[in-house]
Amino acid sequence: MVGFKSGWAVVLANILIPLGILVFSSGFFPYKPLLPGLATFDNVNQDETPAVFDKVIFMVVDALRSDFVYSNESGFSFTQSLIRAGAALPFTAFASSPTVTMPRLKAMTTGSVPSFLDVILNIAESDTSSTLAYQDTWLAQLKARGDRLVMYGDDTWLKLFPGMFDRADGTTSFFVSDFVEVDNNVTRHVPDELAQNDWSAMIMHYLGLDHIGHKAGPKSPFMLSKQQEMDTIVDTIYTAIQHQSHLESTLFVLCGDHGMNEAGNHGGSSAGETSPALLFISPKFEKIRSNLESPVETPDDLRFYQTVQQSDITTTLAGLLGLPIPINSLGVFIPGFLNMWGSGSQKLQLLSQNARQLLNIVKSTFPSATFDVESYSNCDLDKLSGIEEVQCAWSQAQILLSQDQMTEETFTHVGPALQRFSQITQEVMSSTASNYDVSRLSVGVLVLAIATALLLPTIYREFSRTASTGIFLILMVAGYGSMMFASSYVEEEQQFWYWICSGWIFYLHMRSESQVSPRKSSSRLLKMATLGLILSQRILRRWNQTGQKFAAEPDIARDFFSAQPVTLWGLVILTYMDSSYHLFSNMPSIIPTKLLVVVLPALAFLFKLNFVANDSPELLVDLPLSKITEGWLGSLSLVWQAKAVFAGLVICAVLAIVSAKRSQSIQANALFHETIHLFLITQSRATNIPIFLIFRLQSKILSSLKLTGIETTITTLIFQYMTFFAFGGSNAISSVDLSSAYNGVGSYNVILVGILTFVSNWAGPIWWISMNHLLCPYSSKEHDSAALFTFHIATSLVSVMAACTVLRTHLFIWTVFSPKYLYSMAWAMANHVIVNIFGGIGLAYLWPRK
Amino acid sequence: MASTPSIPPVNSPTQSQAPVEKPSAPPVHILPSKVARIYSFVHPGLILALGASRFQAVVANPAQELLQDLPWLALLQLFYVILCVPPAGSSEPGSSDNEEKKKPAARSPSSPGVTLRPGKPGLRRKPSSGKSDWSGVWAKLMPAFLSLALTSILATPVLSALLVLFGAPLTTHNAETLLCAAHMAFLSATGLIYAHGVDNSVWKEVWGIARPADAVWGAALGTGLGAWFGAIPIPLDWDRPWQAFPITILTGAYIGYAAGSLISRVPFVYGKRVQFAVEDTEEDEKKTN
Repeated sequence: MVGFKSGWAVVLANILIPLGILVFSSGFFPYKPLLPGLATFDNVNQDETPAVFDKVIFMVVDALRSDFVYSNESGFSFTQSLIRAGAALPFTAFASSPTVTMPRLKAMTTGSVPSFLDVILNIAESDTSSTLAYQDTWLAQLKARGDRLVMYGDDTWLKLFPGMFDRADGTTSFFVSDFVEVDNNVTRHVPDELAQNDWSAMIMHYLGLDHIGHKAGPKSPFMLSKQQEMDTIVDTIYTAIQHQSHLESTLFVLCGDHGMNEAGNHGGSSAGETSPALLFISPKFEKIRSNLESPVETPDDLRFYQTVQQSDITTTLAGLLGLPIPINSLGVFIPGFLNMWGSGSQKLQLLSQNARQLLNIVKSTFPSATFDVESYSNCDLDKLSGIEEVQCAWSQAQILLSQDQMTEETFTHVGPALQRFSQITQEVMSSTASNYDVSRLSVGVLVLAIATALLLPTIYREFSRTASTGIFLILMVAGYGSMMFASSYVEEEQQFWYWICSGWIFYLHMRSESQVSPRKSSSRLLKMATLGLILSQRILRRWNQTGQKFAAEPDIARDFFSAQPVTLWGLVILTYMDSSYHLFSNMPSIIPTKLLVVVLPALAFLFKLNFVANDSPELLVDLPLSKITEGWLGSLSLVWQAKAVFAGLVICAVLAIVSAKRSQSIQANALFHETIHLFLITQSRATNIPIFLIFRLQSKILSSLKLTGIETTITTLIFQYMTFFAFGGSNAISSVDLSSAYNGVGSYNVILVGILTFVSNWAGPIWWISMNHLLCPYSSKEHDSAALFTFHIATSLVSVMAACTVLRTHLFIWTVFSPKYLYSMAWAMANHVIVNIFGGIGLAYLWPRK
Repeated sequence: MASTPSIPPVNSPTQSQAPVEKPSAPPVHILPSKVARIYSFVHPGLILALGASRFQAVVANPAQELLQDLPWLALLQLFYVILCVPPAGSSEPGSSDNEEKKKPAARSPSSPGVTLRPGKPGLRRKPSSGKSDWSGVWAKLMPAFLSLALTSILATPVLSALLVLFGAPLTTHNAETLLCAAHMAFLSATGLIYAHGVDNSVWKEVWGIARPADAVWGAALGTGLGAWFGAIPIPLDWDRPWQAFPITILTGAYIGYAAGSLISRVPFVYGKRVQFAVEDTEEDEKKTN
């Protein structure tokens, strides 16, 4: 059915698919190198710039949009009085997308610009590995100096900085409807901590305002009182700084991590979401004399006062606290604060420290850039861009620096040049980190489009024989492709497959009815056949509720089985017995192997039982089965039980392959399928195991329907996707099932765990591709199912990639479309290329269709 | 469905041509009177107007409103079939001799299997022989009554079951599913039952989606397909009240009914069957060559 007879078009298309994915991914997930280690002052230069402050109070109010503080409707009346007095310097801190808390905290502490890949890795990785424990932050710099830090509020900080804080009290943002307790839980610590003298950084993170936004939007009646509550805290802290001697040199930073849109949500890149407020507050700032008005009219883009980048917070904090600038920071020291230092040489010192730190990052990102002062001696900044512009700005600053004697005047010449270099560097580096390479995205789409076009003649030839099937497939592919542009259809993809599957079963019903009359003997059975097919599909549909909209509704796996554990275990035992029966009947008749297939499913069942007893014991409460797990059988190591099962499965597979070339070819093929069957059962959650009984029934029905090759392939294709979702899969990263990823793996092994994860999440698709080979009619050997699979995956990739390219500024690009792209990569690379194509070639080689 | 398990004997010699030559009732004509012709085009519009005018009320309270609308739909449909569709068992008044001859011949093979045809042989003679108004009315009222009864007690449960099999909720929304099925039944089954009675061979064709296109079958198929396409807007995250379960399905069914009953009467489509891929055996022979 598959192989090199597929023709050059299919082979070429399957080479183009990984290629297109590679190009597209490199444009979609730009690589950003991170420098390891902590920054230090290099001793080559003069002494470090003296610190202006020795303590910092960092108060984050989640989703504090700029107008909440600065506008006429604000509740921050005390804070506004500080702005008028010059004790508070106000800014709008641009927060780049994704505007969700964790990446924003990363930006504010490391100064780097987190890319989408960071976000994905954060979700995909376990809690412990998503930390900033090994990255350079201003917190790490303080800690390295031997200072103490305390933290109250959102426990994201505790996840990001494990072991960083001497005292901490985290609150979770799980209960979004709670506006009061989350904040009281922070505020109650404030008076105590203000009286303490042992910390040099206190971090507070208030969640209440964000919760109000999510629940009722920025115009909520709760909003003003919450702002007033936050203003009172600012008052408390500022008063303490004024009056308590140990706090006199304390910098107070009030900021939002991101804003919110008019619906009160965030994550995207609208003006409301990207414009949080940022204030540096201290009585010492009064001497800078900023003379700013407050409150002011709200500008349309919500950019009040001066707009800075969120990463500038890191660099400015480091400068003001006398710390080395964190090594990966892309921040530029906010120029207004330079006046905190009296002498020009100190200002210059700070600026050149900032510039050299940025240069370090540029050099590691662009290793080919020479930064040769000579070759850029007469360059024009306006005519250059990218790394060229950076090099030009650097040489201009260097030339100025070498010309001047080091006097107090130097700063007025060189300062602006250094600042210009820093600004340009920040722009160039930020865009390499978060902007998409649109040309690569387009090339990726184009490559896949070529792959699709290559297949068109083959597909046309396939369908010229059966037009109605072709029309169905074209409608399906077109529907699926256009669906990828609508976020709710991506979230609810399972609905499409259930819907199209019911339509396909209806089609098969019509087909079988039109064939009934010549073979009347089987017609009564066939009538029941399609009914049985749609009934089984209807049950599968309700097995696991998935997606977003209806995910919480009751289903079989979660709700029915937890109420009826006896039914569950009855069906599970039946599934294992069925597996044992089929292994037994397909095994060559030698006594040791016949014995093996009796022992192996029993062993697999025992493993699953003990696994459930460990993993989800609630499914075994009060059942006689739990006695087994409490006995000596339950004390066996789970890893070794799984290894024993896998070893048995390998023996079965080897037996099947060895006997492949003998006369019992069909039987050996079936044995191989049964081996995979048991392997997939082992890799599935207990509540999903009875699904394999349904598969058995469906395959029996399908084989009785006497489908043509092309119909078998379309059935397999639809069932692959349909069962993926029936097993509980979805297009959300959070739905990846990791429970069976460590079966038989003692220590972490990325390849083994990766394979086991894939198998446990794609159990349905793998089962059906194996079945496809058994179902494919012998007579239609020229039908090319590989071409059909390739055509479908290529068209779906084209539409997913085009959707990600066109909608790259869409609000849901991070939460919906990018995860879908990641899933598409898994479908294309693992399920299509490895399982469908290579697996298909393997099966066709071992058990060729005559 | 309504079909009895007996199988019609095959009288076709060649296997590959079997489905085409399978004996069956011919497509249903619209009655030739001028009123019938005109109303048959007005009726789909009326049905759509009924659906459109009650749409807001259905969104507000689906179960109650669908129940209240059901009698009106039933009345409209009965009026339509009595006025425009030849009743079961009647030879069509306007049809040619050639069809007159064909029909009994076509029916005969299946008659041994048919057990449920009350009073039909008698009815068939009446309209052609007796000219009295009374018998004409009776010949129409009897199938109309049969159609009303069977649509309610047989087609509605069957369609409810099909709706659930195609994804309608089973544990909740039972009243909505039943009412949705009832509406679909009155749209699709009323005409079929009125025109064909309980003719086994016809219902076998209905079950196999193999009827030739005509106003009643087109309407029935359109209702089903429309309902299937009506599921499309449900997953969208627009949070509109009309996205609730039976509303889009039923909207699709109403539109599908109107489209189906009109499209199936286009000369190019009329009388055609849903065509299928070429026969399996033939295809395979070609391939192995």
